[in-house]
Amino acid sequence: MLLFVSVSSKAKIKGLEKIDRLFNTYANSSLGMIDPEGIEALCSDLGVDYTDVRILMLAWKLKAEKQGYFTQDEWQTGLKALGVDSLSKLKKALSDLEKEVEKPSNYEDFYTYAFRYCLTEEKQKSVDIESICELLNLVLGVQFRPQIDSLIEYLKVQNDYKVINSDQWINFLRFCKEISFPDLENYDATQAWPLILDNYVEWMREKHS
Amino acid sequence: MSNQKKRIFQIEAFKNRVVVDPKYAEKTWKILEHAIHEIYNHNASGLSFEELYRNAYNMVLHKFGEKLYSGLVTTMTAHLKEISKSIEAAQGDLFLEELNRKWNDHNKALQMIRDMLMYMDRTYIPNTHKTPVHELGLTLWRDNIIHSGKIQSRLLSTLLELVHRERTGEVIDRGLMRNIVKMLMDLGSSVYQEDFEKPFLEVSAEFYRRESQKFIECYDCGDYLKKAEIRLNEEIERVTHYLDAKSEGKITHVVEKEMIANHMMRLVHMENSGLVNMLLNDKHGDLGRMYNLFRRVPNGLAMIRDVMTSHLRETGKQLVTDAERLKDPVEYVQRLLDEKEKYDGIISLAFSNDKTFQNALNSSFEYFINLNSRSPEFISLFVDDKLRKGLKGVSEEDVEIILDKVMMIFCYLQEKDVFEKYYKQHLAKRLLSGKTVSDDAERSLIVKLKTACGYQYTSKLEGMFTDMKTSQDTMQGFCSSHPELTDGPTLVVQVLTTGSWPTQPSITCHLPFEMSALCEKFRSYYLRIHTGRRLSWQTNMGTADIKAIFGKGQKHELNVSTYQMCILMLFNNADRLSYKEIEQVTAIPASDLKRCLQSMACVKGKNVLRKEPMSKDIGEDDSFFVNEKFASKFYKVKVGTVVAQKESEPEKQETRQRVEEDRKPQIEAAVVRIMKSRKVLDHNNIIAEVTKQLQSRFLANPTEIKKRIESLIEREFLERDNSDRKMYRYLA
Repeated sequence: MLLFVSVSSKAKIKGLEKIDRLFNTYANSSLGMIDPEGIEALCSDLGVDYTDVRILMLAWKLKAEKQGYFTQDEWQTGLKALGVDSLSKLKKALSDLEKEVEKPSNYEDFYTYAFRYCLTEEKQKSVDIESICELLNLVLGVQFRPQIDSLIEYLKVQNDYKVINSDQWINFLRFCKEISFPDLENYDATQAWPLILDNYVEWMREKHS
Repeated sequence: MSNQKKRIFQIEAFKNRVVVDPKYAEKTWKILEHAIHEIYNHNASGLSFEELYRNAYNMVLHKFGEKLYSGLVTTMTAHLKEISKSIEAAQGDLFLEELNRKWNDHNKALQMIRDMLMYMDRTYIPNTHKTPVHELGLTLWRDNIIHSGKIQSRLLSTLLELVHRERTGEVIDRGLMRNIVKMLMDLGSSVYQEDFEKPFLEVSAEFYRRESQKFIECYDCGDYLKKAEIRLNEEIERVTHYLDAKSEGKITHVVEKEMIANHMMRLVHMENSGLVNMLLNDKHGDLGRMYNLFRRVPNGLAMIRDVMTSHLRETGKQLVTDAERLKDPVEYVQRLLDEKEKYDGIISLAFSNDKTFQNALNSSFEYFINLNSRSPEFISLFVDDKLRKGLKGVSEEDVEIILDKVMMIFCYLQEKDVFEKYYKQHLAKRLLSGKTVSDDAERSLIVKLKTACGYQYTSKLEGMFTDMKTSQDTMQGFCSSHPELTDGPTLVVQVLTTGSWPTQPSITCHLPFEMSALCEKFRSYYLRIHTGRRLSWQTNMGTADIKAIFGKGQKHELNVSTYQMCILMLFNNADRLSYKEIEQVTAIPASDLKRCLQSMACVKGKNVLRKEPMSKDIGEDDSFFVNEKFASKFYKVKVGTVVAQKESEPEKQETRQRVEEDRKPQIEAAVVRIMKSRKVLDHNNIIAEVTKQLQSRFLANPTEIKKRIESLIEREFLERDNSDRKMYRYLA
């Protein structure tokens, strides 16, 4: 939602100035970008915990590449897209952001982004189980509480997989959306579900027999 | 003669109508009627055929055909009624004879009458669509004799009685039967069927129902089938002798149903004499009979086949899981071969090589052979035994026969890649120890494997043979270029190409000085010729022949492994050596060292060394001495054994693991191949295609395939389709 309509470049520059000033409040001057410390500060100013899912959503909106960092470009583009140029406006926008993410057209994109955001090393393709469990809880916990709790329990207990890749990650969401729970009746192991979910379903069925 | 005019001869019609004497018809008819009487009374010889024909002709001509015809009907009917009475009057057995005789008479009479009335037959009758004379004669016979109340049922019961008597063993007048039956047939197929065949079939069914019930209680399976076969043949013979050929199928159907179909289950499962008993005892005659009888009834063969299959599967399962049997791999495989031969015999001799039975045999063997995961290893050991000694002195053709039989069993294996691994190991040992009975036999088997599994399967095996040959040539070159080495220890080197031979990573131990110098010379010679190659001595695979002189001057030639040679050579310079000293100097790995020392110090007849303490096992604090009192009745003593053996449990696990590891890239290669050509494919089809492609090597596990697919997705060879999650897409 763009509030700025390019009428006068002066107005544009003015709006941009405010955004930049806000940026500089939190940025690490030597790095030229907001670092984890800065984000923590931003969070406390916004009144949210820095592990809150809304910060993740903000990162998604900013299309932040690196976890824990916001570049100036990302900041500018993101805040412009949100239509905010002050802290108070940003605070308000956060709650709107929640609704925006929940829109079906955005949700899968956000979900995939959440995984990518965790790939901190170059060429890293998978995320460790611990982090995945936390991420699942954060991202899907509210909407699919029982499935996520059960899945997290399984992930911690099993030892076939020590990391999760993006293919498996995306299928977790599909699983929650498509498979009836807790009976898992419409799950078909001969279909193209990742093996980890086949194992999970088997584990569930054994538990409940 | 004057004034005679020449007149053209003219015939003029009667100018006045000829009125036929109305009594004429009656008179003429009376003549003919009389003639018919005479004919029936066997007095035909006094008649003039020509006159009678003329009379009949005239009647028809003068439009009295109606009278003639109806007169014929009346007269004939009256006679037939008379005949009927005389037949009825016949007593007992004479009934049929009388019937037969009267029938013959009637036919003769009918013939004459027909001849007599031929003009009517040809003109009046067709015009009026009346029944021709001959047919009329049959119809009247049928209506007045056969279907007469007193005769009809008596005829049927007489016929059936005769059949019954014959079935109980009496001799009956078959000629008479044939005539009577032919009579019925002549009267029309419906007469034959209604007046005889149908009741005949019913009565027969009842007869055989009772008989089969009796037989099944008192005969065992084999004897019952013999009886059934006899009855069946009897009925067929009966038909040829005195029934309509069309009845054959119907009566045999009755026998088949009553004697076989109704008792099939009971016969097959009869204790101590049923199918299983016949199979166990190779009762080819009985089995053949069962096959021939059962093939006549619906599901007969299916029943035999099913019982045979489940019996075979059960027997096979016991064979492969019998703990006693598993101790001796060669015996295990021999039993499989024997079983196959037994059933091949049964199918060819008793089941006339029926393809469906052959298939049942194959699927059963495939089923139980693969129940035991050690089957591939054991089959390789069997072959090893044969190629090592079992085929000694056997003719070339017999060798081929045995190898072909083994190949048949091999083809049942699902895990052919496991067999390949073991075969490689065993072949390597055979080649390197020079212990193969016949090079031709070895090569012949390779060719057979190639035919069964493709070129790739055997390329490495063939590489091994090539290496052996090349090594010979290399050795020749080495010896001729180093003539100074003819005195001194003889070195024989086999150069093995890595990749073709089963890999056994090992550390090279320290060779005795005499050998290491020699080996170096060889190495430099070889590398001069083949620059860029790398050689590493496989001291765990070699052998040595050493001449030894013991305490009392006993001379022996010892055949030992390379490791053992290294150990023994140490005793040229020391009387006593501790385990640790030996270990240090030779650098032989501990487990191998212990095994070598054990075979040299603790085995009777091979104990060239003595150890203290004299315990059975090798301890790290043991000391070793030469056994000066060593004695053996043989000059040449074999101490080391490099013979192929059944693997120990941990070895087996290791091999299995290596096989599983090897399968992963094969599965991936198959997946990539398939996806490359199809571009997009759904999950179930990939599984099916991959399984099919790998079938000749092993049975691919769907879970394993799924794992490989996921791995390929992670490495970005494939991706899941965005819209249809069941589909995979190839990423170029």
